[in-house]
Amino acid sequence: MKATSILRYALLVVLSAFFLLPFYVIVRNAFSTQAHITSPRWQWLPNVHDLSNLTSLLANDSIGIGRAIVNSAATAALQTALTVVVSLMAGYALARWRHRLARVLLGLTVFTLMVPASMTFVPMFIMTAQFGWVDTYRGIVIPAAFSAFATYLFRQFFLDFPVELEDAALVDGCSPWGVFWRIVVPNSTGIIAAVGTIVLMGAWNAFLWPSLVGRDESRTLQVALSQFMTSQGVRLPELFMGTLITVVPMLIVFLFLQRYLVRGFTTSGLR
Amino acid sequence: MINRRSLLLSGGGLAAAATLAACGDNNPLDQPSGSASPSTGEKPALTQWYHEYGEAGVKEAVERYASEYADASVKVQWTPGEYMQILGAALLTNEAPDVFEYEQGGSLDMIRGGQLADLTEIIAPVRDQFNQPVIERFTFQDKIYAIPQTIDMQLLYYRKSLLEAKGIQPPTTFDELVAAAQAVKSDDIGGFFAGNDSGVGVLGTIFIWASGHDQLNADRTEAAFLTNEFYEALVAYREFVKSGAVVSGASNEWYGPEAFVNGEAAFQWGGLWSLPAIQEAHGDDFGVLAFPAIGAKGRPVVPFGAFGACVNAKGKNVAAATDFVKWLWIDQEDKQIDFSTAYGTHIPAKDALAAKTEQFKSGPGADAARYVAENGFSNDIMWSGPMGEAYNAAVNNVIVGGQDPVDAFAGFADLAKQELAKLAG
Amino acid sequence: MWQRLRGHQGRNLWFLVFVAPFFVGLTIFVYVPVVWSAYLSFFEARNTIKPTRFVGLENYSYLLHDKLFLNSLAVFVVFAAFIVPLTYVCSLALALLLDNVRWGQAFFRSVFFIPASVSYVVAAIVWRLAFFNNARFGLLNSLIRASGGESVSWLGGGNGLYWVALVSVRLWLQVGFYMILLIAGLQRIPQDTYEAAALDGATGWRKLRYITLPQLRPTSVAVIMLLLINAFQAFDEFYNMLGSIGSYPPYARPPLVHLYLISFGGGQQNLGVGGAGTMILAAIIVCFSLAQNWVLGREERRERKALR
Repeated sequence: MKATSILRYALLVVLSAFFLLPFYVIVRNAFSTQAHITSPRWQWLPNVHDLSNLTSLLANDSIGIGRAIVNSAATAALQTALTVVVSLMAGYALARWRHRLARVLLGLTVFTLMVPASMTFVPMFIMTAQFGWVDTYRGIVIPAAFSAFATYLFRQFFLDFPVELEDAALVDGCSPWGVFWRIVVPNSTGIIAAVGTIVLMGAWNAFLWPSLVGRDESRTLQVALSQFMTSQGVRLPELFMGTLITVVPMLIVFLFLQRYLVRGFTTSGLR
Repeated sequence: MINRRSLLLSGGGLAAAATLAACGDNNPLDQPSGSASPSTGEKPALTQWYHEYGEAGVKEAVERYASEYADASVKVQWTPGEYMQILGAALLTNEAPDVFEYEQGGSLDMIRGGQLADLTEIIAPVRDQFNQPVIERFTFQDKIYAIPQTIDMQLLYYRKSLLEAKGIQPPTTFDELVAAAQAVKSDDIGGFFAGNDSGVGVLGTIFIWASGHDQLNADRTEAAFLTNEFYEALVAYREFVKSGAVVSGASNEWYGPEAFVNGEAAFQWGGLWSLPAIQEAHGDDFGVLAFPAIGAKGRPVVPFGAFGACVNAKGKNVAAATDFVKWLWIDQEDKQIDFSTAYGTHIPAKDALAAKTEQFKSGPGADAARYVAENGFSNDIMWSGPMGEAYNAAVNNVIVGGQDPVDAFAGFADLAKQELAKLAG
Repeated sequence: MWQRLRGHQGRNLWFLVFVAPFFVGLTIFVYVPVVWSAYLSFFEARNTIKPTRFVGLENYSYLLHDKLFLNSLAVFVVFAAFIVPLTYVCSLALALLLDNVRWGQAFFRSVFFIPASVSYVVAAIVWRLAFFNNARFGLLNSLIRASGGESVSWLGGGNGLYWVALVSVRLWLQVGFYMILLIAGLQRIPQDTYEAAALDGATGWRKLRYITLPQLRPTSVAVIMLLLINAFQAFDEFYNMLGSIGSYPPYARPPLVHLYLISFGGGQQNLGVGGAGTMILAAIIVCFSLAQNWVLGREERRERKALR
């Protein structure tokens, strides 16, 4: 028993080292000079002990990292909020109503789950442009906000949600709308946090769509970094400082949110 | 239609132009952007798009040109990243620019799609002043849809001292290049570098020209290079790669000066735009060559290309946009010189301006300009995207994948025929 | 009639209020583009969205003869064959490994999970420029050279080594997320099932084989489905790891990357062929999911029969 437990911990530690290795590399490169990074022998320790790479990154006009951080944060937050509200309502309705229309719409949702929106980016882009949404937050957020996956997850959760609570409120004269916001939503925070985390993850990391729609005013971090990597003479320390800045905020959010994710999926299950 | 990998200014090239970090400090003309232009409210408003040039100061320069134009208020949009994709998408919508630059003066599909305004009339009086190979490339069925802005080219850099140490002359044939690269290669320095894909991407269409062929036949109805000599050229390059004298991993791509500057390779296939950085690093200890002839029928080659200023035919103010393009790229010669030579090394599109410029009077710059005139090639306007993709895939399969060239190009003749028939309309 | 449509206390109207925002959005941003793609796919549509030349099925036949497109489907199959089982097995192993850990469980779980917060773009940058850099200063090449070997061309093609990079980057990114889903699934298994099994003397593998895996089945099916769909949509890490502005090598080209290059690539903007590609991919996915539903449904029906 004792031996297996020691073995288990040894395995965990080794695995952890592998999982953390990329983070270490980001930090090392963010605090090194170009010559240090490209030296023929791998240097394990960084050699820049101040924030000079950060200042030169922030001063680099063509990357516009400050602007990109704001854009990324704003679009990710907006998209998460919009997706959660829209999908929560739809998922609830698809779980509670069972008439023919509801069944048809559920079928459509499941179908959409299968057909990735990213395959239709060409007409999607043209429509977004017709709306005059190119290079706006609206253009990045709204077309990407209708997630069949989120709706489906919410529906699965509401199938197990006790109807008795709602019935009691209905009898008391609440409208279904009032019941939903006063009874259902407050009792669904776990799944909302879980689905919200997934949506946030997708929104923050989105690349293909923002790279088409985002321009000077609305370029997100992912797009800015990708462009920096390919289109400029790569200055590795600045690039990795940029990735460090991209990684840290989400890392913190995630450490905070992961228990909701476990709880949300434990209570609703994934089927 | 232009295939970026094989075009001189191809994807990397542009970006590359962007990599000229070394040009950072030669910009005395730096001015804050958007300097005040008198707003009269009457003037038409135009937008003008550029891809991102990496040399410091270009952005400010083009903004300054625009602000000096009196007859319209021109807003410059600087577009880092995937310029061609973003522009292509924007041209389908109402959010499109009025004026934009495009490789080789626009693609056939853009012309056919009615996206480019016909600029033949404004260039006709001065047609002869421009570099003739560029003008020919820009002309399609006697019409011209863009005004050449500046000329770029690729060429072969080599370290003189390393060759001299081994008693080797600069190579004039591919076999000599192979021998030289193998001779100078050591533990400290690699032989030949043309990108981290072993050069397959950027050298792609060069194999056609350097083995003595053209891309298409005179009628543009079929591919004109599917011969044994061409196949042998591919195999020769494959052997070169296999020999270990071709560097396949360097600190930057072929379009940056880094690999040559850092001493990672004795020969590097690169862009003219890297010249200042290389000059700074190696002083006189380098020379430039065309890509040497491969095989008995071969000939030396440099690919060249030019960005052309186009007018969006579906824009709101085509006439005003055309006037602006004429003003900037035909009339304002001091600005054209400034644009080509003040920030990095590019060849002015008008021959007379190039002749006036110090950089092209002697040394490697003069050699480079001569190569363009004597050994310059650029993609045929009907060498379309699908053809380029299929060609690159086949070349890759031969050189990297080790496939037999005859097999790799088995379906290419038919594909080219069909595609050309489609393009001919 | 109106009464019936409205339903009791207008319930049916409320249904519409709840679902309208979602389905209106879905219609505008998913179904209309799909239909538009379908329309374009029957036309010669280069650099235009208002095509005039009807070509029937020419774009489809072009794609089905396009070696690069067929290769891209093969690339998807190879990629999925690696990434789906590997991710599933690794995330399950991690979930089980953590299941019995008392001390430090939250810490280790966090360590395995946080890569999920990193974007494909960032991970591709690290993999391309630090780990799998072809140059001598790449981490792996440094290690190989330090132990006396020669630098290796990881991403240059010709040797299939790029698969190591592509599979490992996605594995690193997503394994923690699926581990969380499986942990949630494990926690839903009632504790008394295990206790009963313990009384029967079941331990280790037998417990896993006869209790954990069957009980975990709904979660596993969902996880594998998600993994497959995500593999089909692969774009970001491929594009950022192998592409350089506007160009992409002919190898390791998944379907979405190929369609992107056709429709928006620097060299061409062939919306007709792009639309045809979208239709073909959609058809593949629909067939696949119908088949899957049918298989699962059959098994469920059989199980229900067995229970009766």
